Amino acid sequence: MKHESIEINSGLLIVLTLMVISIGGLVEIVPLFHIEETVEEVDGVRPYTPLELRGRDIYVREGCYTCHSQMIRPFRDEMLRYGHYSLAAESQYDHPFQWGSKRTGPDLARVGGKYSNEWQTQHLVDPQSLVPESIMPGYPWLLEDELDYSQIEERMVALKRVGVPYSQSQAEYDANVEKFGQEMADKLHVSNATQVLEDQAAAEDWDGKPGQITEMDALVAYLQMLGTMVDFSKYEDGHFNQFR
Amino acid sequence: MSTNAVPVATEQYNYGIVKKFAIMAMIWGVLGMLAGVYIASELAWPFLNFNIAEITFGRLRPVHTTLVIFGFGGSALFATSYYIVQRTCQARLWGGSILPEFTFWGWQLSIGLGVLFYMAGYTQGREYAEFIWPVDLLITVTWVAYFAIFAMTLVKRSQPHIYVANWFFMAFILATALLHIFNNLQVPVAWNSLESYALFSGVQDAMTQWWYGHNAVGFFLTAAFLGMMYYFVPKQAGRPIYSYRLSIVHFWALSFLYMWVGAHHLHWTALPDWVSTLAATFSILLLLPSWGGMINGIMTLSGAWEKLRTDPIMLFLITALAFYGMSTFEGPMMSLKSVNALSHYTDWTVGHVHSGALGWVAMISIGSFYHLIPRLWGTTLYSTKLVFVHFWLATIGVVLYIVAMWVAGIGQGLMLRAFDQYGNLAYTFIETVSFMHIPYVVRAIGGAFFLSGMLVMGYNIRKTIAGARQPAAAEGRDAVAAAAR
Amino acid sequence: MIGDIFAWLGDMENSKPLALILFFSAFVGIILYVYTGKKRKQRLESYKDIPFLDDDELDPTQQEKQQVNNDESTGK
Repeated sequence: MKHESIEINSGLLIVLTLMVISIGGLVEIVPLFHIEETVEEVDGVRPYTPLELRGRDIYVREGCYTCHSQMIRPFRDEMLRYGHYSLAAESQYDHPFQWGSKRTGPDLARVGGKYSNEWQTQHLVDPQSLVPESIMPGYPWLLEDELDYSQIEERMVALKRVGVPYSQSQAEYDANVEKFGQEMADKLHVSNATQVLEDQAAAEDWDGKPGQITEMDALVAYLQMLGTMVDFSKYEDGHFNQFR
Repeated sequence: MSTNAVPVATEQYNYGIVKKFAIMAMIWGVLGMLAGVYIASELAWPFLNFNIAEITFGRLRPVHTTLVIFGFGGSALFATSYYIVQRTCQARLWGGSILPEFTFWGWQLSIGLGVLFYMAGYTQGREYAEFIWPVDLLITVTWVAYFAIFAMTLVKRSQPHIYVANWFFMAFILATALLHIFNNLQVPVAWNSLESYALFSGVQDAMTQWWYGHNAVGFFLTAAFLGMMYYFVPKQAGRPIYSYRLSIVHFWALSFLYMWVGAHHLHWTALPDWVSTLAATFSILLLLPSWGGMINGIMTLSGAWEKLRTDPIMLFLITALAFYGMSTFEGPMMSLKSVNALSHYTDWTVGHVHSGALGWVAMISIGSFYHLIPRLWGTTLYSTKLVFVHFWLATIGVVLYIVAMWVAGIGQGLMLRAFDQYGNLAYTFIETVSFMHIPYVVRAIGGAFFLSGMLVMGYNIRKTIAGARQPAAAEGRDAVAAAAR
Repeated sequence: MIGDIFAWLGDMENSKPLALILFFSAFVGIILYVYTGKKRKQRLESYKDIPFLDDDELDPTQQEKQQVNNDESTGK
């Protein structure tokens, strides 16, 4: 074939260009869907509860990922500062992933449990009141706005469609009991969602406003869960290196 | 007018659509850079967030990136590709008057709606692809129409050879279609909901997103603007491209290599190591075609270097190529895993992006527009002096920006990995934030310089077009000029 | 012998060297094609004039000259 014929045949130019630009993506992306080799099997990683899920939606809505990463790299300074490096399994239910690309603020992959609920709420409302040099915006409206969870079931069903194991049928529920234990399986059952969300919001004083379910409740519940699912004391040092 | 003149270009070609896109590119450019200067100022002086949800950094940052990449860059590409494909094929744009018009309104509506939705809190949460799913659909339809117009114009051309600029535009259109579709696979919460969840999760989603993210840089912000370069640099220099054969090699090598490098955004993450090693290797290889293209552009001027003293448009085009060369050297360097360990997550990345975005993309577009706009309206530029002013404002702005980000990024990277004599971390995170205050102020000033240059351009272009719309006055001026001779 | 070659080609383990050979030879092929042959060189390099084949619109400097010419012709 002569290059000349590419130059003068627009159809051929289109086809060849398409071929050339497709190769790289195919080679690098397709193998990642062989999930067993890409995502290690780890105990503890579970889908988000309804309240955490709504908190995560707010995290995405406010664009937190533009300044905070959720991906700790395997370096000494990062492990001292943030904790064990992040595993692929820990973001396996993240649609979309929130690894981020910029740390204008610190990494949040393991922020859960590091500060009290009260601290988190105060910090989100007025960051400079706790950290004077901080350049983070305040989010006072989160404490004012009631959480909208009218579509919580639709949200869980949509996530179920893309592979998150929320349960609708008895068989799915039983599988979740097997995998995550009965208590958690109840929370992941779609038809319980509204009740589960309200219970979790009431169970703990997330935002200092007990009578009301605000967006702050959901966001703090999400933040306090981040990075706490895997119990690293159960694994030997270096166990996870084999998956890198 | 003499009777033997060739038919007026506006009749032979569809210039109306080019004019519209060019004007919108200017408007989005000014708005997008304004948003950029504002969010840069928010980082320097956080009170500017004013506790107002719609203008907090997290919501305004996608507004900035969308307006400058898709609003300014995208409209500039529509304008120049429609112009170049007609001029180099010597054929009128396919699709009559309606289809090109549809691409115009489809594109502008997507940008406008998209950013309003971000401010209202509707986003997909994927960098550079934050558009919500209904807007994604509108973009898809618009893009298919764009592809049809471009391809059919190539088919009906009267010039046997397809000029290389059109190859680059074609690769850009195809790649963007591919990227847009696969990176925006979403399942809506409900059919009447604006919210949706990504089809992929975690590692696979990250890889898909950065395959998209980097190739948006590679094809949207590089290949397409190279198409612009391959037409406007020779035209403005008044001499053909340095080597046509080099441009062929350049095209195939660039198209092939770019698609492999996205994973260098994910070094040291939970992505399997083999992928990021492969991406780093191809990133290094990519230096060759990138510099091949740069050399091809700059050498076009060989033997006519004195033009750089007298022609500010040429100055814009050649400086753009120099910045292209610089950032395509910096990029492969930053994709080395050891360098990336320091640079990733810091402002070094932000500086690198802007040396490409302001230095290369914006400057090549600005130079092309100064060449294009007087020709579209059949007039001459209102003021060449103001183009010089613009050039210096833009250059000073870019340099301030890049240097500030080098200081902030490398400084923060070094501080975060520093240990004291007992092996403890030497700095807390917040200490690095305080350290970055001054670089952030300098960056905001650099951005303001660049924006003010755009405003000067806006004024110059307005005056140019206004001059063209008053033919009587222009004739009067010519008469005076003739009399003076 | 030929069987061995096919066996090697069919082995997924060899996909990386195989891809390398394919892509690199395609690259070398393009280079050789583009940079050899005097006639081809002339043909390819002639395309760089395409942007200039269409100079009906006037360079601003030429426009002035032409305008002057027109004025002169109408003046006479």
